Amino acid sequence: MKELDLLKKDWKKNENSFEQISEKDIYKMIHKKSSSIVRWILIISILEVLLWTFSNLFINTDDVLKRMNHPEIVLILEYLTYINYIIVLIFIFVFYKNYRTISTTVATKSLMGAILKTRKTVQYYVWYNLGMIIVSTILSFFVGFVYNPDMAFLREKLAANGKTMLVSAGILILIILGFFGIFWCFYRLLYGTLLRRLYANYKELKKIDI
Amino acid sequence: MSENLEQSFVVQLQANQNIIHKICRLYTAGEDAHKDLFQEITIQLWKAYPKFRGDSKFSTWTYRVALNTAITLYRKTKRTISTVEYESHQHFVKDVDYNYEEEEQIKLMYKAVYQLNDIEKALVFMYLEDKDYQEIAETLGISEVNARVKMNRIKGKLKKILNP
Repeated sequence: MKELDLLKKDWKKNENSFEQISEKDIYKMIHKKSSSIVRWILIISILEVLLWTFSNLFINTDDVLKRMNHPEIVLILEYLTYINYIIVLIFIFVFYKNYRTISTTVATKSLMGAILKTRKTVQYYVWYNLGMIIVSTILSFFVGFVYNPDMAFLREKLAANGKTMLVSAGILILIILGFFGIFWCFYRLLYGTLLRRLYANYKELKKIDI
Repeated sequence: MSENLEQSFVVQLQANQNIIHKICRLYTAGEDAHKDLFQEITIQLWKAYPKFRGDSKFSTWTYRVALNTAITLYRKTKRTISTVEYESHQHFVKDVDYNYEEEEQIKLMYKAVYQLNDIEKALVFMYLEDKDYQEIAETLGISEVNARVKMNRIKGKLKKILNP
């Protein structure tokens, strides 16, 4: 291509035309903070993990359960809590392992793959938490409703009045929708803003090798 | 990190900074964005420097980290170039034996290259830098044959942009 050769000639001619940056300025630069997407993904991931881990802890049904006199349910929930801790630890380990593989010295495609893999780990963890929240909200709602002595009056009221049932179900749905809302906001922020270009470039690179 | 490491990094980077400038030129529009990307690339190079063992040349290593930063890590999205901004890139073209037609063609060519996507720009950049297809393929993580095929497609695309 003739034009490309022409461009190359011009490109080489202008090779040394850039305003040079002094050693002093380079010193300054290396002490500044990066604003790369990896840094942003890390910050957002930590926020997400904290948020979802704590939101799971907040839905604390211990007190209610103690008053219910149903040790078998208490035991099941205790086991679930331990399983949850194990999953959190496994997640942190996998996340750290994947995060460490992100390196700018590997091929572009591998770098992109590593970033997306790290991000997916967090996504799985968030899905897991979201699932746990929904299941435990519904479960504790029904367990509390059926076994909790405080609820006896409500049960009687419900038997007499269908409207209270609708309101309770409505509140339950609103809580779940609220959690979905938070989930969706993070999802949009990450995949809509931060990762859009990376995804497009990754797809483009993969297309070349098909 | 030790002072010595910092010292040797800064000296080497200072000597090789044109590689980064050239990438900034291709991937950004305007002086501010150029500086911004330059800084981010410098930070990423510095972060990766402890792992640089000198089994490749500093410049080769710089190419890879700088391109990876421009394509993958850099966050600023406003990267499309307008004609006005494009002109500002040309301030340094001062040729003694000024050939109007050739100059015009080069201008159009730059404009066409700016319309390519990030990956295509990377291939063109390495082509302009006289990198062989093996290095292009290794840098991007694609096969050598496909790098050739892609480069031919890009040439076709550029022709189409020039002669719509």
